[in-house]
Amino acid sequence: MIELEGYKNVLQGLANTALIAVFGLLIGMIVGCLLAITKIIPKNGFLSKLLSRLTDVYVAVFRGTPMVVQLLIIHYVLFPAVGIQLPLLVEAILAFGLNSGAYVCEIMRGGILSVDAGQTEAGRALGLNYKQTMLKIVLPQAIKNVVPTLGNEFIALLKETSVVSFITVLDLTKAFQNIANSTYEYVIPYLVLALIYLVLVLAVTGIIKLVERRLRASDKR
Amino acid sequence: MISVNNVYKKFEEQPVLCGISCHISQGERVVIIGPSGSGKSTLLRCMNLMVTPDAGEVYLEDKLISPADPALHRGLTKNGKVDKRALREFEKENRLDINLARQEMGMVFQHFNLFNNLTVIQNLMLAPVQLGIMGKDEAEKKAMELLQRIGLADKRDVYPSTLSGGQKQRIAIIRALAMNPKVMLFDEPTSALDPEMVGEVLDLMKELADEGMTMVIVTHEMGFAREIADRVLFVCDGVVKEEAPPEEFFSSPKDPRLVQFLQKVL
Repeated sequence: MIELEGYKNVLQGLANTALIAVFGLLIGMIVGCLLAITKIIPKNGFLSKLLSRLTDVYVAVFRGTPMVVQLLIIHYVLFPAVGIQLPLLVEAILAFGLNSGAYVCEIMRGGILSVDAGQTEAGRALGLNYKQTMLKIVLPQAIKNVVPTLGNEFIALLKETSVVSFITVLDLTKAFQNIANSTYEYVIPYLVLALIYLVLVLAVTGIIKLVERRLRASDKR
Repeated sequence: MISVNNVYKKFEEQPVLCGISCHISQGERVVIIGPSGSGKSTLLRCMNLMVTPDAGEVYLEDKLISPADPALHRGLTKNGKVDKRALREFEKENRLDINLARQEMGMVFQHFNLFNNLTVIQNLMLAPVQLGIMGKDEAEKKAMELLQRIGLADKRDVYPSTLSGGQKQRIAIIRALAMNPKVMLFDEPTSALDPEMVGEVLDLMKELADEGMTMVIVTHEMGFAREIADRVLFVCDGVVKEEAPPEEFFSSPKDPRLVQFLQKVL
């Protein structure tokens, strides 16, 4: 009876871990790209300067505090204060997405800056405007440069999700903790838990390598 | 065609252009030479506003393309101060949009700057199609004509990373030509090339000159300057120190700095 329950919990936990990691990264990419844009655009007006400053603060806060603490604050302070009630899983996804956004912002900014300034110059000299030059020339190259680092971020995020049980979300780690606590058997559950994370990360690594190879193939034909 | 009028430019407190003026006429080939750091590249880049002057103005075919300089238009100052509203009004009426201006001016860079994420044919078609000047088919036809002209039609679908420096630079030149520009600006087009590839790029530039293209060329190739130029400018310390037709320029230079410079490079 207990064993069957534990087994179901593991599947549920695995699903939650995957959902938080995947959607967390998706939100992180959107937030990160938006933040990176505020850092990249020419700063010649009051608004662009203000946005750039706000991004600095955002990145400093989310990179400067532990993920668990952000999770606790979002669940126990922020949402109750605003008075919104969301499913726990959604809260967790939002928390990880916002955190990841800070890192993705820096990754994207670095990726854009790594594209040779001559590429922008050539685009602008042909009469393309800033937006066209960015979209057609700079960003495609930036994204290619950034894939390995984004992959790293995703792996870090995937493993970091093991702290969501702090706000009582059932993830992979929590599922095995439950099994261990109810059976007083620690060795096998925790080793299996580690093995599952390892397999997940190796699978992600493989996918990233595949994407990288396909992107690189396009410039060596 | 292009007028540079009393332009000043500083980079981080370092003055580079100090009230420089020059005029390029239709169909003229002007070569700009000078010691490194003299401001010759900056002067060229001011012509299509890749560098924005701190003061002074740049005109393309009598249309203002740089920001208006209040000091050059007395009506834009009031009681010794800049009348910002009048300045804006003036620019709105008289200033040509820089992106439109740049469509008329092709530029070739020292480091080629082909778009690395696009194939050769995509490099050639991007600007004409994006800017709505040509349809896709027309742009492709034009691009293929240009590629055939330089004998690189077989490279249409390769990425720039597989090309030699000379091939890259020739494609960069026809990428600018694909826009049907009225004037071509060359910023040390052969400086980053291996010696054996300089010839093919200079030959293409000579062809353009023979066709009557208006060209402004910053270069260190003195022999080329002598052969192709209608007029040579010597830029030093941020101003044009001397300008003359090539025979006179090279055989009887007057400015002492130019004499010194020519002794070193010839």
